[in-house]
Parts: sequence; C-alpha cells; structure tokens
Amino acid sequence: MNKDAEKKEDQGEQEEQSGSSSLVQKIQALGQTNIPQAPDSNIHVLSIIGQVEGHIQLPPQNKTTKYEHLLPQLIAIEQNPKIEGVILLLNTVGGDVEAGLALSEMIASLSKPTVSIVLGGGHSIGVPIAVSTDYSFIVPTATMTIHPVRLTGLVIGVPQTFEYLDKMQERVINFVVNHSNIKEEKFKDLMFAKGNLTRDIGTNVLGTDAVDYGLIDEVGGVKEAMAKINEFIDQAKGSGEQEVIQ
Amino acid sequence: MILYTPLSETDIFPTADNVYTNRKCITYEGKTVFVEKNNNGEYQLVQLLSTDPQDYLNDMYTPGSIIP
Repeated sequence: MNKDAEKKEDQGEQEEQSGSSSLVQKIQALGQTNIPQAPDSNIHVLSIIGQVEGHIQLPPQNKTTKYEHLLPQLIAIEQNPKIEGVILLLNTVGGDVEAGLALSEMIASLSKPTVSIVLGGGHSIGVPIAVSTDYSFIVPTATMTIHPVRLTGLVIGVPQTFEYLDKMQERVINFVVNHSNIKEEKFKDLMFAKGNLTRDIGTNVLGTDAVDYGLIDEVGGVKEAMAKINEFIDQAKGSGEQEVIQ
Repeated sequence: MILYTPLSETDIFPTADNVYTNRKCITYEGKTVFVEKNNNGEYQLVQLLSTDPQDYLNDMYTPGSIIP
C-alpha cells in the first residue's frame, strides 16, 4: 500500500514537472501560456508578409512569402468544400514580379469569395495582389508605393532587357487596371510621378488616397473585412439555392 | 573597415551555407512547417504555413516548440 502510494506520488510529481517544463517552453517561445480554442473556421486566411520570394532564394534572415508554398494552398482552398471564403492579409515590401503576378492571378481566378486587407504596407508587387481579390480594404495608416519595375544585378543585353522589363511593367499595369477601379492614365501618373519619393520616381499612396484613386475599394480593417466576406458567402449561398429551385 | 560601394552587402559578404541548411521545410502531421535544427540536434518549429486560422491556435504548432 505504502509503496503504491509512493509510486503515485512519484508519478504525480513527474507529471507536475513535465507540465511545468512545457509551460516554461511555451513562455520561452511565445511569452504566453494558454491560447484560446475556437470551432472550425469556414474562412481561411492567407498572409503575404515580408518579401514575395520568387526564383531566387533569399537568405533566411529575410522575412519572405514563398509563392511555391502559397500556390498549393490556394488549390487546397478551391477544392475544400468546407472553406467558403478567403481573407488575404498583406504587409509586404514587394518582391519578384512574376511570383507576385502568379499569386495575383491565382487569387483572382478562385471561385470562392476573397477579401484583402492591406496592413502597414502593400508596396510594389503588393498592389496587384491587393486588388486581385473580389473586394479590397486598406487600413487608414497603410501605404502603397507605386513605382516602375526595376532590376538589380548583372544585365546582359541592355536593349533586350529593357524591352523585357517594359513588357513586365505593362503586365502589372494591365492587371491592376483590370482588377480595380483606377484608370490606366491615373495609375501611370502615380507610377511615374516626380518629386514624391526622394531620389526616385513613383508615389507613396496613403490608405484614404488609395480609395480616392479607385485602387482600393474601401478603408477598413478586420471588422469590415469579415462583414464583407460573410455578405459574399451569403450571396453565394443564396444564388446556389435559387439555381436548385429553377 | 569602411565600405563605400554600390554593391549590396550580401554580394560582399555571402551568407554562410549552414544558415540555409539548418532551416528546412517539412510536412509535420499534414501541415507544412519550417523547422530549424538547434544546437542540441533537435528540430525547433520556426514558422507554420497554413491557411486555416485554427491551426495557429493549436499548441502543437506554436513557434519555438520542439518537434519530436
């Protein structure tokens, strides 16, 4: 009896120790101990943070969003019937043009409702990604830098490379104009404006201005975005039911 | 040493290879995660890649946790 009791005490102590050590680990890792649990969500979140990484792998100290990881996730979202909508969170400094365009086209061609929120910054290639969704929001403090496409590194064949870059820029402009309410003239004006950025051409557009130009649909944050996506989901459900009746 | 050059810092001081090799992208219980090998030879979770917001609330995938 005594031995059993001792054993039990030992076990209890061990459990306590392992419990406290996992607690310590959590505190070390996160600075907090418990996380709230919630039921399954029908809305999934795709965050585009840091640089959009394309064909060249950046050193690990860079915070990057790798498009090869996001593309399969978008396919998974499209296939999963439980997922009814996607929210895109953007805080990016830009990055690879073709990777960004790939992401934008994927998001634009999703059948499910999509809403984006630009937080902090949605610069350069972040602009087409932000406008690729069905509806876009920007928080009042966020900015979007619009500037011409550029290249760093060794260039072999300058005129050809220039033509190639010019075409690439045209693709970006076309995408943004086709997926937002901004006029091509206005977007080009912003892109080639002088005197706004020191030592560079382009414009740093503030949240409210982006809405005025028609680039982004509305100023708002999480609350507005959630309301909008739920509205879209209800619409999609409503139209689905109507088809069944007919 | 003071450098005055248009070259980027990484062109002059290339990142050491082990920085790349220590970090891996693996699939752990169906979720894609980034892990980093720490000094004890254990794999520590660096980043979770998932679109499900609930995964981020799961204790198992909190950054810094050790993957067995």
